[in-house]
Amino acid sequence: MKTVLTVFRKELIDTLRDRRTLVFMVVIPLLLFPILFRVMFSVEKSQADKERAKKLRVACVDNGNAARLVALLEERDDLTLMPALPADSLRALIRADSLDGAFVVAADFDDEVADLKPGRVDFYYKSADDRSIVRGRLEKIVDDYERELLDARFHRLEMDASIVDAVDMRTHNVASMEERVGKTVGGLLPYMFIIFCFMGAMYPAIDLGAGEKERGTMETLLTAPVNRFHILLGKFGVVVVSGLVSAIVSMAGLYIGIKQAPDIPPEFMDMIVHIFGWGTILMVFSLLLPLTIFFAGILLSVSLTARSFKEAQSMISPMNIAVILPAAIGLVPGVTMDYRTALIPILNVSLATKEILAGTIKTPHLVEVYASLIVLAVLSLYGSAWWFRRESTIFRS
Amino acid sequence: MIELRDVSKTFRLSRQQKREMGARFQSDTVDAVTSLSLTCKPGRIFTLLGPNGAGKTTTLRMIATMLRPSAGTILVNQHDTVRDPEAVRASLGFLTGSTQLYDRLTPRELVRYVADLHGVPRDLYTRRRDEIFAALDMGAYADRRIGKLSTGMKQKVSIARTLVHDPDVLVLDEATAGLDVIASRSIVNLVRQARERGKTVLFSTHRMGEVGQLADDLALIHRGRLLFNGTYDEFVNDMKAPSLEDEFIRWIEGAA
Repeated sequence: MKTVLTVFRKELIDTLRDRRTLVFMVVIPLLLFPILFRVMFSVEKSQADKERAKKLRVACVDNGNAARLVALLEERDDLTLMPALPADSLRALIRADSLDGAFVVAADFDDEVADLKPGRVDFYYKSADDRSIVRGRLEKIVDDYERELLDARFHRLEMDASIVDAVDMRTHNVASMEERVGKTVGGLLPYMFIIFCFMGAMYPAIDLGAGEKERGTMETLLTAPVNRFHILLGKFGVVVVSGLVSAIVSMAGLYIGIKQAPDIPPEFMDMIVHIFGWGTILMVFSLLLPLTIFFAGILLSVSLTARSFKEAQSMISPMNIAVILPAAIGLVPGVTMDYRTALIPILNVSLATKEILAGTIKTPHLVEVYASLIVLAVLSLYGSAWWFRRESTIFRS
Repeated sequence: MIELRDVSKTFRLSRQQKREMGARFQSDTVDAVTSLSLTCKPGRIFTLLGPNGAGKTTTLRMIATMLRPSAGTILVNQHDTVRDPEAVRASLGFLTGSTQLYDRLTPRELVRYVADLHGVPRDLYTRRRDEIFAALDMGAYADRRIGKLSTGMKQKVSIARTLVHDPDVLVLDEATAGLDVIASRSIVNLVRQARERGKTVLFSTHRMGEVGQLADDLALIHRGRLLFNGTYDEFVNDMKAPSLEDEFIRWIEGAA
């Protein structure tokens, strides 16, 4: 144990003095989300403000109909109603950004409305975004106009407006707020920390395996009167700690990012704080620990095989996909925890975290996840130990 | 004392290594050392000579327990390198020209790390460290990062690291390779002092000048096989070439 601690302490000092490792382990996970959220929100806000404040250029081909709609358009200060334009030129003008939107009222619009039928209005706009603010602003004018027409119809027919609602359906979602937030935000969370856990463990693993071989410092360890397994355990410890720190720091970064983001409803924030109680954190951490050991074993084995830092990087980089894929599958709606998914590494952590956050985790599934992760962690540890004892691995050149 | 009894080492080649050896190379294995027997005695300097690829480094790595012999026995201070590797390593100081140091540590941290790995008690470590640092004049840079030190300074750190546990057996593999005259001298001095203190010293080198300065006993190997094993005086007395270097080449060419 003393040897393990000696190696661990030295490797930790060595790792913490390596700027590249520190950047991957702490700086990126901590700053990524706050910076990403801040940039995302501020860009979105400034874009939305611009679209809201923009004086829209609108055309309306009324075909001598819908005089009230034209009047509604004319009386607005936030848009300019363009002079009459030929209907067949509207698409091209909108595409060329000469117009923000255009309405074409059907020639029989007034007759249809008078017959209590729907009058046709074609609305042209350009947006790849379904939540376009420009589109919303223009549609609202037509909605207001429609409401006026409907009120007039109900008044004319001496009917109550509620008559159009044949079924008064009131929906009641019995899922708690915790469940709803847990199953949505909870899906994203493990995706983030699994990736950061892997990334955080990656550089120390490469540095302590292939890096040490390449630098020619391995002989100092191999000629010391200590068991090679103990040396490996010391290195292993540093890789595991790095992965865990990276995952935890990424979560802290995510929390800071959410907290500083504008327009987050306070009740949502309260829910986040409520979900992330100490019990939940400990449970998630207990899943993360064997997963990190599993990652450390795989990463160290590959790193020890490689001849150089660069070779280790090129061998490990494709493994990112193997980590991201199951973590991303956990985000897919409908993929839930069952006896099969509980056995699939990474995916099981993703799904279990979702269930833990939602408060719906079932004990047999959780036991299965722990068992599967612990078996994999032990196998990867002994696998890397076996690898570390091989002459052909250590002296591969 | 180091004893090698009929030691051989065969490396199995990977598919890639075999490809790298060329199409004419048919075997799946390479014999790096074949039936090597020699004895290095305490209080004497044993010099291992041989051209590149002769098997010197493989031999020294087997002695240092980094590699297992494919056949034969190696005893270091009566401990078998296969059966009792930790006891062998406890009595061994290993210094090579290719071994690098941890650039992000300071000399003081590195020497303490090695002492801790060898289980040197704290008070004994402090005393030895102070003695070694004073002898090698390392005080001025003991707390500077190793990566910032000159080659000569680094070599002194390597020596301090090798000596901190006061090993009975010193194995030095091309320890002066790539060093300037001043840095090489610190190694030569180390070897001489070790002999004076009754240590067993096994020293491999290319530099014939160092052989003349240091060797008590000498072995010449080529392609993993022993060509000569005797005292330095015997080697010199039987010389048929005008210089040590020419004699060395004569032996190698004679074996080819």
